[in-house]
Amino acid sequence: MNFDTKGIIESAGINLPNLFNFSSFGVLWKEGLVLYLYQEESIPPPFTKKVVENMVKVLSTLGGEPIDVNQVNLQIEKRQSKLDPMTISPQTTLKSHLTLPLAVEGEIVGCISLNSDQPNAFDVQDLQFFSVIGYQISATLKHCQRFSSIKTIAIYDTLTNLHNRRYFEERLGAEAQKSFFSGTTLSLMMVDLDHFKKVNDTFGHPVGDKVLCHIASLLKNSVRRDDTVARYGGEEFVLILPGANLEVTSRIAERIRELVERTPFEGGQNRLNLTVSIGISNFPTHRARSKEELVKMADVALYNAKKGGRNRVCVFTGYPVE
Amino acid sequence: MASPVKESKEGRLSSDLVFDLYLNLLTEIWEIASALIGEAILALLFLSAIQKNGEKHPFLLSLKVSEEGIGLDKEKEEGKRLSPEEIHKAFQGVINHLTHLFSTLSEGVINKELFPKVFPRIKEAERIISSR
Repeated sequence: MNFDTKGIIESAGINLPNLFNFSSFGVLWKEGLVLYLYQEESIPPPFTKKVVENMVKVLSTLGGEPIDVNQVNLQIEKRQSKLDPMTISPQTTLKSHLTLPLAVEGEIVGCISLNSDQPNAFDVQDLQFFSVIGYQISATLKHCQRFSSIKTIAIYDTLTNLHNRRYFEERLGAEAQKSFFSGTTLSLMMVDLDHFKKVNDTFGHPVGDKVLCHIASLLKNSVRRDDTVARYGGEEFVLILPGANLEVTSRIAERIRELVERTPFEGGQNRLNLTVSIGISNFPTHRARSKEELVKMADVALYNAKKGGRNRVCVFTGYPVE
Repeated sequence: MASPVKESKEGRLSSDLVFDLYLNLLTEIWEIASALIGEAILALLFLSAIQKNGEKHPFLLSLKVSEEGIGLDKEKEEGKRLSPEEIHKAFQGVINHLTHLFSTLSEGVINKELFPKVFPRIKEAERIISSR
């Protein structure tokens, strides 16, 4: 469940007491079996237990598969009781409920429930109104899911599943601003696959695509958690390493170069040996004044690595003399 | 005693009657329940009930459910060729499952609205069958 979904549920939990008279409102989310309960602080444990069991029963019945009640991850948000907590018996249990499935694109993704310690607490009007709310929650969840998938398409490269160039530009902008403002170090690494055109020409594009995916996974597994790996275009990749000085960046780059050199890549019947050239730029060492300049410096370093014979790591040392 | 041909015609007539009676009843249930819980949820419940009973009575799978309502695929009216008893049993299974689901969701709230409509129709179906 992402943050947006939780926000929608929280908003419902806060506003529903203005519309209905109930003791607890629950949202059981199928994925991860998370049950959010918004309930009065005086509600005793037997009531809560019964609500959990009931919601699991409803979701099992609707989904057609049994759900283990012990697997439910219960998160309770307490709100002030309308009644004096002293008047509520510790034996109070669930007496009536309204439970409705949450469906997104024809699939049941969870259920919502209004629960009461009073018998027959809900009538036809409550059900009608609650179903409208359920529909609205489902529709909003649907929008969230769509937005999230559009966002994924917008920032990921479809072939390698790495971040795409658009995301890289945005991320670099944010990291550069942070570094330029605070003076913290920031490194950029440009990685280019040597003689990749030959792979495509000799073995065909499907093999070339496989090689790119393999390289992408090697890169992803070679960096730290906060680093960004993106496909810059074609066989060129770019890495943002916030907080990494030149020494750390050079060590990571050398590790990547060696790893690629040692890795046999699939090329139909054959095993391919490939290499990469890597260019590095760093702030503040190279005194870049903008993110564009940091990219340009890494590009110049990459050019030098290619010119120097490929399969090597070069750090920016200055612009070529015209 | 009626001739086999006549018996078959009478049987055919009863099957048609029972089938149409239940189809109308399902439409009526749809109208009442959709006003309470909305078409999207109701379509899921109907599909669940039909699929569950469709394993035993495959003709039920020719019932088409969407958010617009419930209908019968005209090319697949094989259900009408079955005996009225089997049609009665199959539809009763669907209605039982639906009422079970309604009760699971809202205890008596939905069923209280439905039962006054459903019971007389089931009695009528039983009367048609017993008068054969």
